[in-house]
Amino acid sequence: MPIDRSLTKELGELARGLLESGQVECVIGYEAAPRGGVRPLFAYSPADAGRLIWSTRCVHNLTTYLHDKKKPRRRGEEPPRVAVVVKPCDSRTINVLLAEGQIERQRITVIGMACPGMEDETGQPLARCTTCSDRLPLVYDLLLGQPPQVTPATDDYADLAQIEALPPAERLAFWLRQFDRCIRCYACRQVCPGCYCTTCMFERDDGLWVDMGIELPQKYLFHLGRAFHLAGRCVACDECERVCPMGLPLRLLNRQLAREVERLYGHRAGQEEALSPLLFELGEEGSPI
Amino acid sequence: MRIATLSHLKSWLDRLAQQADLVAPRDVDGHVLYRPVSSAAEVLFEYERPELSAKDYLFPATEVLLRVEQEGKEVSIEEVLPQRPQVIFGLRPCDAHGLAAIDALFLNQQPQDRYYQQRRERTTLVGMACPKMWDGCFCVSVGGGPTDRSHLDVLLTPVEGGFAVDTVTPKGAGVLAGLEMTSVEGRPPAVEEYARPVPVASPDQWRARFKHDLWMRHGERCLSCRICTYVCPTCRCFDVTDRVVDVQAGRTRIERIRAWDACTSTNYRRAAGGHNSRPTKPDRIRNRFLCKFCYYPQDFGPLGCVGCGRCVVSCPVDIDITEIMREVAER
Amino acid sequence: MTVSANPMRPYLGRLTEVRQLATGIKFFQVELTEAEGRAAFADYKPGQFAFLSAFGAGEAPFGICSTPRRGPYLEFAVQEIGHVTHTLHNLEVGDPVGVRGPLGNCFPMEQLQGRNIVILGGGIGGAPLRPVIHTILDNRAAYGHMTILWAARSPDLLVFTEEFDDWRADWATELHVTVDQGNEGWSGNVGLITHLLERVSPSTENAVAITCGPPIMIHFVFLTLKKLGFAPEQMLTTLEARMHCGIGKCGRCNLGEKFICTDGPVFWQHEISGFLEGFL
Repeated sequence: MPIDRSLTKELGELARGLLESGQVECVIGYEAAPRGGVRPLFAYSPADAGRLIWSTRCVHNLTTYLHDKKKPRRRGEEPPRVAVVVKPCDSRTINVLLAEGQIERQRITVIGMACPGMEDETGQPLARCTTCSDRLPLVYDLLLGQPPQVTPATDDYADLAQIEALPPAERLAFWLRQFDRCIRCYACRQVCPGCYCTTCMFERDDGLWVDMGIELPQKYLFHLGRAFHLAGRCVACDECERVCPMGLPLRLLNRQLAREVERLYGHRAGQEEALSPLLFELGEEGSPI
Repeated sequence: MRIATLSHLKSWLDRLAQQADLVAPRDVDGHVLYRPVSSAAEVLFEYERPELSAKDYLFPATEVLLRVEQEGKEVSIEEVLPQRPQVIFGLRPCDAHGLAAIDALFLNQQPQDRYYQQRRERTTLVGMACPKMWDGCFCVSVGGGPTDRSHLDVLLTPVEGGFAVDTVTPKGAGVLAGLEMTSVEGRPPAVEEYARPVPVASPDQWRARFKHDLWMRHGERCLSCRICTYVCPTCRCFDVTDRVVDVQAGRTRIERIRAWDACTSTNYRRAAGGHNSRPTKPDRIRNRFLCKFCYYPQDFGPLGCVGCGRCVVSCPVDIDITEIMREVAER
Repeated sequence: MTVSANPMRPYLGRLTEVRQLATGIKFFQVELTEAEGRAAFADYKPGQFAFLSAFGAGEAPFGICSTPRRGPYLEFAVQEIGHVTHTLHNLEVGDPVGVRGPLGNCFPMEQLQGRNIVILGGGIGGAPLRPVIHTILDNRAAYGHMTILWAARSPDLLVFTEEFDDWRADWATELHVTVDQGNEGWSGNVGLITHLLERVSPSTENAVAITCGPPIMIHFVFLTLKKLGFAPEQMLTTLEARMHCGIGKCGRCNLGEKFICTDGPVFWQHEISGFLEGFL
C-alpha cells in the first residue's frame, strides 16, 4: 500500500501541533493496520500523532466517531474538542450533521485532505471514486494536499439502470436474495454517520415495527426503512457496503433514493451547510419543493 | 486409510439428503456458507473457511421456543422442539470445536438448554479437514488444528483419488452406512502449520488487565456492530421476546422467540429504566474478550475462542483478537 | 415430557389480586393453575426470583415478595418501566400469566438465625426484603432484634406501607421510615437512607445488614455500614440486571465470571468486592 510520505509527514506535524497546543484533545485519523490496509486511529498524544498516515487506502468515513465525542468524558467537564481527518465525501457528512444540529462546529477542527481517489486491497478504485468530481473537501479548517488534475466525472447512475431494467418480480427476487444473506449485524447502521438514533426504530424492545427475529421480512423492512430514513441525508460514502460481511450491495439502495431526491428537489446531501434536512423543510420560502 | 471417491461420496450424500436435513458448504452468490442442501450437486468439496460458523444449525439465529394461544382468559402453551435428524457435512474442525464450547454451557451446565439438546442429539457432524490454514486462522494456538478430529463424528480429508474417511464415533459409523470405501496404504497429508503462534494468556493474566488502557486503544474504534459475535463459532448470547403472530375471532396466537444478541451492541446492558452498565465501547469489548479467555473457561471449561479467524478478517475497523491476545500475554 | 424438563417453559398462573402499591408500582398475586407449577414453587425461599410472562409482550424477572408459609400464591411488586411491565400493568384479576422459577439463590435464613438483622429497603428494593421480614416475624424466636429502615424518593413511592403497623407491633422490631423529599401531609423523616442509617446507628454486634434498592443506594449504604463498623461478612444484598433466561445461558447478567441469575442474586459484600465488574 503506497503511503503518501510527504502528506503523511505534513499531517503528523499538523496533528502534533494541534495536540501540543491543546487546541484539540484528540485527532481522529488513520494508521497502518498490521494486517495490511488502514484503520481508524484516535491520537491523543504527539507519540500517537506519529502513527497517522495518509494513503489511497484511507477509505473509512471517520466522521461517524464524532457522535461519540459529543458528551464530556467526566460529568461537569466540557465535551472534548477533536480534530477529524476528512476526504471530500466525508466532509459532506460534516455539513449534514451541522445542519441537523448534531455536532458543534467550534468543537471540531476539520482537517481536509485533497483526495486522489481511494482504492481497495487489490488496487482497484472504489466505485464511488470513479464518478466523483469533488477532489477538495467542501468544509475544512485546514487543508492538506493539492487536488489532482482529473477530468470531471459525471455520475450517470448506470449501475441503477441495470436493476431498473429488470421487471418488478425479478427486481424483488434480486433484492430478497441479497437480504437473505443479511445477518442483521447492523454494521451498516453502526458505521453510518447519519444513523445516530439512540434507539433505532427497528431495534425496539416492544418490536413495534419489526420484531428482533433475524428473518427475511424483518431484514427486508430494516434495509428499505433505513434507506428511506437516509433519503436526502446520505452522502454516498459507501461505508455501509464496505462493512457488510455478506456483501449486500447497499449503495444501490441509497443511490437510488439520492438520485430521486436530486431529480425532484435539486438537493444533494451535504453540498452546503446551510440547507436544513430536506424532509424537515416546511413552507414555501427556502423550500426546495 | 479408507478412501471414498468423490463420486461415491456424492451418491451417499444424495441418499443422506433424503433421510435427514443435510447441511453443507454451498456457494451463495459468491459466499461460502453452510446451508441446507437437497442434493450433492449443491455441495462444495473444495472451499476455504465458510464465512459463518455452523452454530446456526444447533443454535438458530431465530428460534421459536413456545407457541402460545390465548382466548379470553384461557392460555395454552406448546413447546416447539426440533424433531428432524440433521447431518452437517464439510464442517471445519474449528467449527466442531465451537460447538463443543457451546455444549459446555448449553448441555453440561444444569439445567440443560432443551432446544439445543434436542438438536444436538439429532445432529451428526461430518468434518472436512483443512488442506491449509486460511487468512486469519490460528486454531493451533487454542487447542485445535486443521486436521483435528475432536468433537466430530467423522473426519474426511481430501487425498489423491478422493477423501480419506476417519470414523471417530459410533454415530459417525452409523451415518457412513452405505458409503463405498476402499482401503489403501498411506496416510492423509500433513498441513502447513501457521507460522506465528498466538500466545494465550491465563485467565489470571486477563483479569490483571481489567483496568488497562488497552481496551480504550483497541475499543474506541469499535462500531458496536455485531459482526464479530455473529460470525463467531462460540458466541451464544441471546435475547428472548414475544411476538403476536395472529389475532382472529378473539384468539391471539403468540410466539416466544429467541434470537442472537451481542454484548458488543450499545444497548446490550441497558435496563428498562435507561441505566446502561457498559456504556462505552471499551467497556463492551473488554467484556467480550474477557468472556472468551477468562470468564468462559473459568465457568464452563473450554476457551471461548477456537481460532477460526473470522472476527479477524470481518471486523470493519481491524480490531484483531490475536493482537489483543499478544498484548495481554506479552506486555 | 414434563413441564419442568424445559426451563424456558413457564407454568400457567392466574392473577388473583392486582392493586396499586405505590405510584407506578403495582402488586400482583398469582395463583399457579398447573400442578407442576405448584410443586415447583412449593418451597421457594426469600431472595429467589421468577420470570413473569405477560403473554404477547414477553417475560421479565421479579423478586418473589411472598413466602410459601403465608399462602399458596406468589406475590410480586412490579414497577411500570418498559414493554413487559407496561403490559403487566394493564392486566386484571382473572387474567392469565406465566411464571418461570423459582430461580436464583436465596437469603441464608438459617445462617441469620440467632442474629440481629438490619434491613434497608429503598423504593421497590423493599419488595425482595418483604419475605425476609415475614420469615423473621413468622419464626420470631429464632431471630434476634430486627431494625428496618425503609425509604423512597417521596412518600407516594414507599411500598407496603399497609404493613408498617404489623412490623412495628412486633416486640423486637423497630421501623424507621424516610423519604428523600417530603410533601404536604408527610410528617415523618426527610433525608437519604444513609443519613437515617447514621442516625439510627444500629449495633454491629452479632448483626447482619441486608440492603436492597437502586444500585447507587446499595453502593452508598455499603459505605455507610462500613463506616458504622459492619464487616463485609455482615453485609448482604440482592442485585438485579436485565435478564432473558434466568438460568445462566443467555449471557446477559454477568458481572465478570459471576452470573446474577445463578450465582446470585443474593451476594455478600465481600463476594461483590472480589468481582471484576462492579454492579453500578
